[in-house]
Amino acid sequence: MKPMLSTELNVADTTAEKAKIEVKNLNFYYGQSKALKDISLSLPERSVTAFIGPSGCGKSTLLRVFNRIYELYPKQSADGQVLLDGKNILDRSQDLNLLRTKIGMVFQKPTPFPMSIYENIAFGIRLYERIGKSEMDGRVEQALRRAALWTEVKDKLNANGLSLSGGQQQRLCIARTVAVKPEVILLDEPASALDPLSTAKIEELIDELQADYTIVIVTHNMQQAARVSKQTAFMYLGELVEFDRTEKIFTSPREKRTQDYITGRFG
Amino acid sequence: MGEHTVASFDEDLGQISRLISDMGDLAGSMVSGATKALLTSDNALAQRVVSDDAIMDARQRELDDRAITLIAKRQPMADDLRHVVGSIRMAGDLERIGDLAKNIAKRVGSVGISATPRDLSHSIDSMAQLVLIQVQGVIEEYAARDAQALAKLRADDERIDVKYTSVFRELLTYMMEDPRNITACTHLLFCAKNLERIGDHVTNIAENAYYVLTGTQLPANRPKLDETAIPAPAA
Repeated sequence: MKPMLSTELNVADTTAEKAKIEVKNLNFYYGQSKALKDISLSLPERSVTAFIGPSGCGKSTLLRVFNRIYELYPKQSADGQVLLDGKNILDRSQDLNLLRTKIGMVFQKPTPFPMSIYENIAFGIRLYERIGKSEMDGRVEQALRRAALWTEVKDKLNANGLSLSGGQQQRLCIARTVAVKPEVILLDEPASALDPLSTAKIEELIDELQADYTIVIVTHNMQQAARVSKQTAFMYLGELVEFDRTEKIFTSPREKRTQDYITGRFG
Repeated sequence: MGEHTVASFDEDLGQISRLISDMGDLAGSMVSGATKALLTSDNALAQRVVSDDAIMDARQRELDDRAITLIAKRQPMADDLRHVVGSIRMAGDLERIGDLAKNIAKRVGSVGISATPRDLSHSIDSMAQLVLIQVQGVIEEYAARDAQALAKLRADDERIDVKYTSVFRELLTYMMEDPRNITACTHLLFCAKNLERIGDHVTNIAENAYYVLTGTQLPANRPKLDETAIPAPAA
């Protein structure tokens, strides 16, 4: 097997696997402030990649570039390239609605809509597709099963999504994301507000979903990154310090800054 | 290596390092004592080595407990993780060195050194000195974080293997010369084998220590020169 070890840039050579997202020389600005500095990395298809680093290092910013959600805010801009299946999503010609059906996102705090569990799923599907009631029922069930929530909610699909527990709400958000059949799922600290059991369910779900989706997860929990991801990127002050196979990052990282961060010797 | 943000983490790791160092010192003293007892028929010294083994076992259990507690409490990563897991493995090898030294000490009463030729005592003694240098060296180099010295020390085990082969052949010669030597020489053969095995445990410790320090493994194959299993050519 070809080794995935990196060049002197400390970026893993993932050429052995098909890249779903390739980031090339990406810079990102909040007004005059440069939040991402010349980031280049390649995220393999149907695999989980974790972004770790201290608060403010740019990991969530990088995640937000992938579906251009940053454009909802003024004075935020990006240059460089982010290639999704070889096509630059930063191009002005990119259809943002289409992009966001391909790249779904789940946030730190569960964000169910204030409507029924059923409608939480169906709402997103209706935005993009016109389908009949029975087909919609099937799609809702499929999405809830995919998010490992079906058995818990199948008898109360008309209950308000907000009546669910935090962990269930987060899985509902994941179900809502997978319902529109995305190719990439972005998870921004998806379990940081959840208890250990709900966290375990989310991690089990991530493990199952990677068979069909390319997953990128931002997490402050390093054990979680070690458990769920195949490759890990360590970021610091807007730079990509090291990107490699997860087991390499957590057993023998090459960069001292990575080592200091993951062993708790930082700052 | 910098300090952890959580100072008690450094204390926990330091206690594990001190236990490895203590066990290394004890292993050196047991090997030295067992050999001296063997060569001077000193039963009291031999008895002390035997009782030291209980201390060695207790140290290993303490290290295991501390290491497992640290993993549960701290979830160590990277060099910390290698340090803890490597220490558990090194402690296992040090405990085995203690057992082998005890085995040598337990034979002291049976050998009766006066019955064995003086040249043979000299051969066993020089083999034991080589082993002792290795036992003491591996703990010193690990404490000094000198990975290259550990790699060299691992390769130096070859000298013990060569010496063992030579002692083995010498013992056979004495046994053939005079059957009255057979009992003592057989015991000494076991002692020489125990010393050779101690050398092997030192190479294990050197390999683990090298991995702890560097994050990379030494090449799997090391030249082995124990030729006692190879039939001698027909005369």
